[in-house]
Amino acid sequence: MISRTERVINYVVLTVLAALVLFPIGTFLAAALSPDRSGKPVGLADFAWANFATAWRDAEFSRAMTVSMVIAVCVVAGQVVLALLGGYAFGVLGVVGDKWLFPVVLLGMMISLEAIIVPLYYQFRTFGLTNSLPGIILIHLGMGVPFGIFWMRAAFRALPRSAFESAELDGAGPLRMLRSMAAPMARPAIYTLILLSFMWTWNDYFLSLVFLHGDNQTATVALGVFQGKYVTQINLMAAGGLIVAAPVLVLYVVFQRKFISGMLAGAIKE
Amino acid sequence: MTATATAPEGGKRGAHRRRNRWIGLAFAALPLAVYALVVLVPLAQSVQFSFYKWDGVSASTWAGLDNYRTFLTDPVLRSTFGHVLVLIGFFALLPIALGLLSAALLTRARQPGMAVYRWIFFLPQVMTTVVIALVFKRIYAPDGPLNTALRAVGLDSFAKTWLGDFTWALPALGMIGTWVTFGFCMVLFISGTSAIAPELYEAARIDGAGPVREFFAVTLPGLRGQMAVALTLTITAALRTFDLVWVTTHGGPGTSTLTPAVALYKAAFQNPQVGLAAAIGVVMALLCLVIAVVITRVAERD
Repeated sequence: MISRTERVINYVVLTVLAALVLFPIGTFLAAALSPDRSGKPVGLADFAWANFATAWRDAEFSRAMTVSMVIAVCVVAGQVVLALLGGYAFGVLGVVGDKWLFPVVLLGMMISLEAIIVPLYYQFRTFGLTNSLPGIILIHLGMGVPFGIFWMRAAFRALPRSAFESAELDGAGPLRMLRSMAAPMARPAIYTLILLSFMWTWNDYFLSLVFLHGDNQTATVALGVFQGKYVTQINLMAAGGLIVAAPVLVLYVVFQRKFISGMLAGAIKE
Repeated sequence: MTATATAPEGGKRGAHRRRNRWIGLAFAALPLAVYALVVLVPLAQSVQFSFYKWDGVSASTWAGLDNYRTFLTDPVLRSTFGHVLVLIGFFALLPIALGLLSAALLTRARQPGMAVYRWIFFLPQVMTTVVIALVFKRIYAPDGPLNTALRAVGLDSFAKTWLGDFTWALPALGMIGTWVTFGFCMVLFISGTSAIAPELYEAARIDGAGPVREFFAVTLPGLRGQMAVALTLTITAALRTFDLVWVTTHGGPGTSTLTPAVALYKAAFQNPQVGLAAAIGVVMALLCLVIAVVITRVAERD
């Protein structure tokens, strides 16, 4: 059993560390709500909620946020389909040559974007796929395949073997088994994949910076440009930052368990 | 696992399994094709590109190992390795030390309210780096909270433009990394300690071990796997730092915060030396791979 003192010490340590995490975000939030362009914190009554509207308008976030949303939704949808197909193949059906194919897939989780970005850009330029949404969606999808297969394979393997056998006896083909039985049973894992995939795509900066310009800018890149232009208007810059962070933060508030368990499991891998 | 193992109707089921494996290949074909197109082919091309001199427009010329030689000998490019070492201290060593310390202090801390703390500690992990960069640009600003606090306690001489200072910009960036990763390390280690068998702690206590010895004899060895994960992720993150630097300092002042990834971006897209950029990418990928393999090997050795 833990003694009372130990318990109190635990809370003190946790609270100090939590304050260290929250303090920078708190000052940022205070700056976003300040009517003063220096971002000086003010009292509750003087909060300038209009900063969000001003930042939204001045940075033309409506277009950038739409671009980001279109990319993220397409990537998430495609990612789930690819992960279901690949995970079912490697986890349930088996794949010809999986002894070397599967390690090659896993290797992809360790290959950093930097290792492929240069040829990727110049090849895509030849095919006219730079500065195009289909181009960047394709890249996100390809980069996400290793984790998707790894993740759904593990989820399908955790399902009871007997379910597959009885469905097989009923004469269900592999595609119908995946659609009507395996995928519904693996729903929790699919939800986690959706959340992580959305977060990774939405939060991307490097890929968008390299591949998209002008009207096709994503929210993260637009924010980078906006903060460069508004160096003296801290309150608007902070408000813009919170707008861009908001979609993922809202999902994190609602689905915190899935985020944390998914990211821990994804980190630990095997 | 093998098809023939399922007697007595092994023949029939074996054939069935084999057919399934071809169907499996058909299922996996689409994801594998996209993966090959986006990752594997460009990976091979990166290696190929790295042996050429190319400005992105005119014809390329064979360069042999020149690009690699430039990366390793050019004083500015070589300095990026030194910067990465500093960043590793802040992204990896400091957060892991902090994480271990808190895991030690919080051992067996299964108490109410943990979920809320976990939520807070993980918060930096879900925020996009651009926003994190802006948050800390504010903290480090000449009139920002950090300098205000220093002046308030009479340390006016320490107040400075942190991200514009040749000496302090890199450590200031490093501290952002510490802030981002320590919560992750903590949650990882705390969940690791809760998986250690309570009997080990009891046995240590019966042997008369104090909290310090208990930590070194039970907690630390029990966290080997988590340590390996945390080290691999944080060291490769330090090596790959781009967003944070690009949004805050662009590698400056001068080249004092230049990282390999920023050097790669500049070489690839600003002042095209495409071959050099590819070589930087290849070296970074190899380093990531070596780091991951070495750490895993060391952690698995008993």
